[in-house]
Amino acid sequence: MSVAGRSLLAVTLRAALGTLVLVVILGPLLSLVVWSLAERWHWPAPFPQQLGLKYWLRMLQGDPLRALTRGVTIATITTVLALVAALPVSYLAARRRLPAGAAVLTLFVLPQAFPQLPVFASATVLFYRWNLAGTVPGVVLIHLVGGLVYAVWTLTAAFRAVGPELEEAALNLGASATRTFFRIALPLALPGVAASAILVFLHSLDEFNGTLLVGAPYVTTLPVYMYTASLGYELQIASVTALILMAPGVVLLLLLERFLRAEYLAFFGHL
Amino acid sequence: MEVRVEKLEKRFGRVAALAGVTHTFPKGALTAVVGPSGCGKTTLLRVLAGFVRPDQGRVWMDGRDVTDFPPQARDCALVFQNYALWPHMTVFDNVAFGLRLRRLPSHEVRDRVREALALVELDRVPGIESRRPRELSGGQQQRVALARAIAVRPRLLLLDEPLSNLDAKVRHRVRVEIRALQRRTGITTVYVTHDQEEALSIADVLVVMEGGRVVQAGRPEDVYARPRDPFVAEFLGSTNVLPGTVAEGGRIQPRERGRLLFRAEDVALLPAGSPPPAGAVWTPGEVVDCLFLGAVYRAYVRVGDTMVMADGREPVRPGQVLLAVPKSRVMDFSGDEAGADLIESAAAGEDRRTRTRTRT
Amino acid sequence: MSLATEAHRWERWAWVLATLPAVAVLGVAFGLPLLQSLVASFVREGRVTLENYAIVARLYGRDVLYTLGVAGAGVTLTFGAGIHLAGYLRLRAWPWVEFLLKVPLFVPFVVTGHAMRVFLQPSGTLALALSAVGLVPSGARLGIGEGWLGLVLALTWKHLALVVLLLVGAFRGVDDSYLEAAQGFGAGILRQIWAVLVPMSATSLALATVLTLTSMLASFSIPLLMSRGSGPQMLMVDLYYRFGQHGDFGVASALGVVSYVMASGAVYAYLRSVAR
Repeated sequence: MSVAGRSLLAVTLRAALGTLVLVVILGPLLSLVVWSLAERWHWPAPFPQQLGLKYWLRMLQGDPLRALTRGVTIATITTVLALVAALPVSYLAARRRLPAGAAVLTLFVLPQAFPQLPVFASATVLFYRWNLAGTVPGVVLIHLVGGLVYAVWTLTAAFRAVGPELEEAALNLGASATRTFFRIALPLALPGVAASAILVFLHSLDEFNGTLLVGAPYVTTLPVYMYTASLGYELQIASVTALILMAPGVVLLLLLERFLRAEYLAFFGHL
Repeated sequence: MEVRVEKLEKRFGRVAALAGVTHTFPKGALTAVVGPSGCGKTTLLRVLAGFVRPDQGRVWMDGRDVTDFPPQARDCALVFQNYALWPHMTVFDNVAFGLRLRRLPSHEVRDRVREALALVELDRVPGIESRRPRELSGGQQQRVALARAIAVRPRLLLLDEPLSNLDAKVRHRVRVEIRALQRRTGITTVYVTHDQEEALSIADVLVVMEGGRVVQAGRPEDVYARPRDPFVAEFLGSTNVLPGTVAEGGRIQPRERGRLLFRAEDVALLPAGSPPPAGAVWTPGEVVDCLFLGAVYRAYVRVGDTMVMADGREPVRPGQVLLAVPKSRVMDFSGDEAGADLIESAAAGEDRRTRTRTRT
Repeated sequence: MSLATEAHRWERWAWVLATLPAVAVLGVAFGLPLLQSLVASFVREGRVTLENYAIVARLYGRDVLYTLGVAGAGVTLTFGAGIHLAGYLRLRAWPWVEFLLKVPLFVPFVVTGHAMRVFLQPSGTLALALSAVGLVPSGARLGIGEGWLGLVLALTWKHLALVVLLLVGAFRGVDDSYLEAAQGFGAGILRQIWAVLVPMSATSLALATVLTLTSMLASFSIPLLMSRGSGPQMLMVDLYYRFGQHGDFGVASALGVVSYVMASGAVYAYLRSVAR
């Protein structure tokens, strides 16, 4: 084959591959957009008969709005608690001063490794006994499982990146360990802390399995609301909710792609 | 402050970083601790600073046992190899950190920061106080690190390879300045380096370490002129090691057993066939090359299988020569047990002896 | 003993105490439930018995195989596509395609489930789009959305992003000189991928495989949203209905223990990463 023929073939293959990726990745997402705007769509018409923002506007009131605000509240509480609780663990882990470090850190990877659903089902049984099932604290507690795991690992990485000699210099000049943490380690790890907060917030906002088991039917967040709508064939409502759920993550990817390190991105794969 | 360490031992896993170090760092003096990498000198410094707790042994500061004191409770300031300046603080805040911890009033903090910056000659750099460390040159960062350490007026100043990240020219200048600063302030100082020239030039007291032990300590001139064992002799200066022993009349007999050590600057090269000078050891040899090193010419002379370095003011042509070294300049350690004995006694804490092992 | 030494000792204890809330939360909300489910799987009507497992074998044996089959097919498809895409992206930079492939990372599982349900079901948007461009007759129903194939496609869509991300990272760790040497012998893109990149990234590849397989075996929200309610089900969907509708915690726990065993590869991989 001639060189020109080869390169023509390569260009064609490349274009075909690009188109395929575009269609496969964006197809399902675009279909959500179309459904979210379809005010009337009778099968088998290939396009909706009437487009509009009716279902988007419906999100601004009643149940969906309540689910949204409740989800954001839960995510905010979860993020604050997870970060505050994870900071000492990750700091000591990064400096290898965690007592029984291997055992504690094992506890913080197991939720990643084990299937969540059976464990959360079992937690639901316990939560019923403790009157936590169907309450916001119960849902926060179940969101904290994943939230703490993400927070501990990202924060440990962030603290590891702070050179130990920067802290030794402060200790050497007479600063206590606590002051050294607040004046040196924490300010220098701040970008990692921010990334960790975003990660935990998104995890809580999108969490479905635990919320469905522990929260239903009294505590409804957006993912559970979307699930109910989808099963009830309220496809427009479900699609609007789905787009709202994925929006923060995709915006984050657009804005921060080059700043997000691979290990942070890898965590998102488990959301 | 006088600092004494006694029988310090520290293992990291299977490696003994300190294998019984006993030494007294005299008050007001600059002690340079020198040795090859892995000899334990940095571990010793970190034990003094309180970052490493020794497995065995005690640390005394002015007669007080501080072995179990945390780093905060020791009146010492450490200058780190990579400076460890805090990137999120300005130069002023870096230097003021220790002062603010001591709850000094803000005007005194300001005065003492300025004083410290003046001591390291940074006061003439405009706007230096409000700059961040990364905006400074390596030499300036080094000075800020020094200022941060001396601003708290420590009674012990510890320097960990402070010049190793600077290029040669800046290094020489800062070295002179550190020495002048130490003289002016009179702070007891321990200076760790792997660079023997730096150690020799800066120290009041030189401590040579190897394998976690102090092998010799003393005035730099004494240690250089009268090394106590082959390791010190080889480590300091450009030292030749020639296998052999000295026979009648000063002629060197090549042998497998003995080893003659002498420095390149003590070697004289005479025309082949000249009468051997009195009071010297000598051997014929062949000059194979001669390099210009700037201050001196260094000739490489083949003697048997060994290449001997000889420094001189004049270049030397390749060819046969007579190589001669004054007997008093030959460091003879052919009695190897004597050397081993010395290392052991140094480890046992008798390293302050000044007995000379040089035989003539 | 100085005051500073005392303060120092107290401070160290305070730091250790500060780690307790996080440990306690995980213990209460994860460790304890995990143990409870292990115990409950061997208890039925107050007696220690293997009956729960007998019920699992009788009622859900086929679903265990179905789950393994779907996850196996999903892993095969994900890696078949992922290795070639990641290899191509390593050899020929193509930023927008790389970006596009990362998008599903940020789409939650439950959203993926709904999107795929709308897209792939027999009268879904894919069928309509194909009829709009004339590839299928108007009103035709596509069979792929129902059953195992749609599920495999949906799981692949979601997991491909992470696999490509991990593999591109691993492939970028392979030095250019190895690839140039292969090119020097006339190796094309495919051969460079399979002869150089894949063998030199074997560890990352194995890790990514284990993680993907476990995630697919334990997938819940995607099959929950895509299932028809009849025919074989994924194990986690069975568990949910057994627990939520029958209130049968014993059999649900036994199903859970089966899933723990299936996930043991991932548990091993994670424990090794802690040991490092």
